[in-house]
Amino acid sequence: MVTIEIDGKSYQAQAGQKLIEVTEANGIDVPRFCYHKKLSIAASCRMCLVEVERAPKPMPACATPIMDGMKVFTRSTKALAAQKAVMEFLLINHPLDCPICDQGGECELQDIAVGYGNDTSNYQEAKRVVISKNLGPLIATEMTRCIHCTRCVRFSKEITGVPEMGDPGRGEHMKIGTYVEKNITSELSGNMIDICPVGALTSKPFRFSARAWEMQQHNTIAPHDSVGSNIAVHTRRNKVLRVVPRENEAINEVWISDRDRFSYEGLTANDRITSPMIKKDGTWKKVHWDTALAYAVDNLKQIDSKSVGALASPTATVEELFLLQKLMRGIGSNNIDHRLRQVDFSDQDQAPLFPYLGQAITDLENCEAALLIGSHLRKEQPILNHRLRKAGAKVAVFNPIDYEFNFPVAAKMVVAPNNWVSNLTGIAKALLGNGLIPTGMQKLLADSEVTEEQQAIAEALQTGEKRTVLLGNLATSHPQFATVRALAATIAKLSGARLGYLPEANNTTGAWLAGAVPHRKAGGEAVVEAGLDAYAMLSQNLKAYVLLGLEPELDSCTGSASCLEAADFVVSLTAYKTEAIENYADVILPISLFTETSGTYVNAEGLWQSFGGVVNPTGSTRPAWKVLRVLGNLFDIAEFDYVSSEQVRDEVQALVGDKKPSNTAGWQVPTCLENMASDGLQRITEMPIYSGDALVRRAEALQDTLDADVAGIHVNPTVAKQFNGSEQVQVNGASLPLVLDERVPDGCALIYAGQIAGTWHGNVEVS
Amino acid sequence: MNAIKNLFKSLFLLELIKGLRVTGRYLFDRKITVQYPDEKTPQSFRFRGRHAQRRYPNGEERCIACKLCEATCPAAAITIEVEQRDDGSRQTSRYEIDLTKCIFCGYCEESCPVDAIVETRVFEYCGENSNDLLMTKSDLLAFGDELEQQLNVDKLLDSPYR
Amino acid sequence: MSTHTSKPNAATILSEESRLKIDTWIVKYPTDQKQSAVMGALTIVQKANGGWLTTELMDAVADYLDMPPISVYEVATFYSMYELEPVGEHKLCVCTNVSCMLRGSEEIVDHLNKKLGVNLGETTDDNKFTLKEVECLGACGGAPMMQIEDEYHENLTPEKVDNILEKLENQ
Repeated sequence: MVTIEIDGKSYQAQAGQKLIEVTEANGIDVPRFCYHKKLSIAASCRMCLVEVERAPKPMPACATPIMDGMKVFTRSTKALAAQKAVMEFLLINHPLDCPICDQGGECELQDIAVGYGNDTSNYQEAKRVVISKNLGPLIATEMTRCIHCTRCVRFSKEITGVPEMGDPGRGEHMKIGTYVEKNITSELSGNMIDICPVGALTSKPFRFSARAWEMQQHNTIAPHDSVGSNIAVHTRRNKVLRVVPRENEAINEVWISDRDRFSYEGLTANDRITSPMIKKDGTWKKVHWDTALAYAVDNLKQIDSKSVGALASPTATVEELFLLQKLMRGIGSNNIDHRLRQVDFSDQDQAPLFPYLGQAITDLENCEAALLIGSHLRKEQPILNHRLRKAGAKVAVFNPIDYEFNFPVAAKMVVAPNNWVSNLTGIAKALLGNGLIPTGMQKLLADSEVTEEQQAIAEALQTGEKRTVLLGNLATSHPQFATVRALAATIAKLSGARLGYLPEANNTTGAWLAGAVPHRKAGGEAVVEAGLDAYAMLSQNLKAYVLLGLEPELDSCTGSASCLEAADFVVSLTAYKTEAIENYADVILPISLFTETSGTYVNAEGLWQSFGGVVNPTGSTRPAWKVLRVLGNLFDIAEFDYVSSEQVRDEVQALVGDKKPSNTAGWQVPTCLENMASDGLQRITEMPIYSGDALVRRAEALQDTLDADVAGIHVNPTVAKQFNGSEQVQVNGASLPLVLDERVPDGCALIYAGQIAGTWHGNVEVS
Repeated sequence: MNAIKNLFKSLFLLELIKGLRVTGRYLFDRKITVQYPDEKTPQSFRFRGRHAQRRYPNGEERCIACKLCEATCPAAAITIEVEQRDDGSRQTSRYEIDLTKCIFCGYCEESCPVDAIVETRVFEYCGENSNDLLMTKSDLLAFGDELEQQLNVDKLLDSPYR
Repeated sequence: MSTHTSKPNAATILSEESRLKIDTWIVKYPTDQKQSAVMGALTIVQKANGGWLTTELMDAVADYLDMPPISVYEVATFYSMYELEPVGEHKLCVCTNVSCMLRGSEEIVDHLNKKLGVNLGETTDDNKFTLKEVECLGACGGAPMMQIEDEYHENLTPEKVDNILEKLENQ
């Protein structure tokens, strides 16, 4: 600790800190543009000049390390004169277009110019004009306003890991940008809008829609990935206009992913349904809530409860999922599930309390070695990816596709899905010298051979002390998930690593805790007779279905809604009305989306985060928990008289108690470690980043990004030869454009979800 | 003593005469009554009457939808919605002044960076219901077009003081 | 048939000769700091391409040196010796900085303008010469000066310039 004096007062600070960090911590205002606590120091704006005793010239506070006994004056005549002069320089080329600038009213330059600037400028000459380049559908540019603080350039290099922004040119001719016109590809790019201190980079979807002073800020939780990023929603006249991050060091630091930032556009999509509807004799009719609810209940009552199935989206809140399972169990059915993209449920009884990350999110930042199994982490969970990237760990990846990562990959294996088991076995075998595992498993491993690649992964995983093995979405949806999980657990055990899951959706963990699984009640208590899992429900024709916030033809790995079409009665609690829903549903109960309801999400590390409604529900939609409560009442289910979502949450929380998940306990040893047979072209399916749930699928700007451009059947050039250069390929009866993609292994075809009907795995018929 | 004084005053109608003296003075004084509506009082070029929106000489509307007038309006009489035009420029899609709320303080005119919203010399307007007094964007622009010459003169007269 | 993420491939865009020359630069730096060779690499590639750099070539250099393309653009746009638009066969870089200006560089520039019929920053119609204004090249002792290819021509007079141009014309 050192003692320094700022403006006559003494402060204690850590040696090595920069002056601006000390002023920041003690609430002393020092103006700045280029300094950002999460970025490296550039000292390029010179706005933070302060007077330091015995220094001949004013010093930039952001780049001056503190020294014991240092005397600093932030408001002395010398400091203020220096700041005023710098301000005048910064304004030389800045246009006076605040009235039409979206940043006006929340602009750092505007604020500081008023606080520290001069009334007039000595500069009389012409200002420079920079022609802006299009950076894609998310960020609007007006580079004439740029003051060259280089925050976006440093962000692009240091945070996104894919340097796309740069500062080509020099002196007056320096133009911040991409040099060549291209869309920014980073999935965190929206943060550039926040860090830009002027109006050079602004939000394109938000463009001109409101002024900062007109909006109200409401705190809530992001509804997409399992991070549970803290966000603030800005509204005006009961309409959500934009989403910005809220700082939370333990979760999302100061960043959010583009998906969390721009998905709000889906809230007002054209196919939003605002009043209850029932289908009678093939035609849809708008009805009152009472009629619709009574119609749903009357029809469901006529069907044997064992042939009713409930499918819920894991993006629903804990309250909604809990009430849905309570409703189903109340009418005597355990057929409830949210695991729409899972195929192999054989070891579900041994599964942990919920798919736990195995560590706190901040722990990822400190890990020294990691193995990713079946995860395109960068696009699945951008914030977790950023944490792992920050760790600078030795990361090994085991994927079906040769994904590009924004950090160095120490060892990688690209393995077709049918060969996963033998290859994971090899990795486990390579680690076998390390410790004890169940004898059953040892016997199974005994016969396998270890290849060099497997050895490399094993070696990468043995770096450092803190290690982790993470199972991603592609592992969860693998047809041999139980075996993959057992092998991952073995690998983790042998390497002394923590095993972690990367849950798909924002509330996958909450769904497990709320009991939205066929084999466990809320709080993880096992049921006597497990119900049907999601895959079974969607492949065996049940008589009736209840759907919560779901479009199974897009959300489920069966890729079709044929079972629903065949069913006698389908109740859909949905916010949107699509042609498919009209086809199979008999009652549509319109529900509110995440900004219109109160609720709770549980993130991957098991943190419960509750939030309140931000705007009023659209039209006569109702929060799903209220709809489910009334359904429960109509079914006369006991103890269903909740008056608030908090009451529901408290009940779930009481049921969960202090139970903690354990990712290592009780692993079932697989009976054999055999690969799947495969003779044709295997399908690999990835859920594109901007298609994961109903809301984000309707966010227009996100759908225009490069990441959403996923049409086609991706095969590598060797496989493509069999199509004799044809542009279109018939896949399972549908025609898809052929895309050459060297990331795809031999014998495989990558088809992104949502394009063709049919299951996500197995062989595809092509012609 | 005082009672006698008052008696004396009222006996000789002194107060009445005093009052009539004032009346008499105004009777022969210069007349300032204006025969409205046949005659009108002179107006300042800063007169704050009914609002109008102005255009540039090339016909382009001046308003850039910065919303400063909306923000500064103490009576919350202004409502603005913004849209991006096809050429990328910022324009209002809705600009309404509720004259029943307006207190004619002139802050909107003061705050406008492009002299788009102005208060004209017109104070004679009426409506049969309150909706008639809701000035829409097209009303304001049409009114501005009508009075453009006068507005130009007034702005010119005001310019030395700005 | 579309292709997913087509990364520029240095091996197909850069000639083998260029790559070998770049390698001589790479070996001068520590193995984990290949990007240090970027200026040398750009000079080599520019020469091989008739004096200027295309975006494609810069991408290829980036790929060859394992750098992000934007970093190469930054270098190429920062230094005045890299050309991002086509230039003539001979690039005449006339210094107009203080020392040269005091010793009469304006006269030299005027003379070149008249002689070649082009202004600063332009190329003659026959694509033979490009006239370029540059900042100090560190040869103030011989001001006024200009650089043509790798050669400095110092103590210029209009007559001297005529001689130089004649020589280049006849080459």
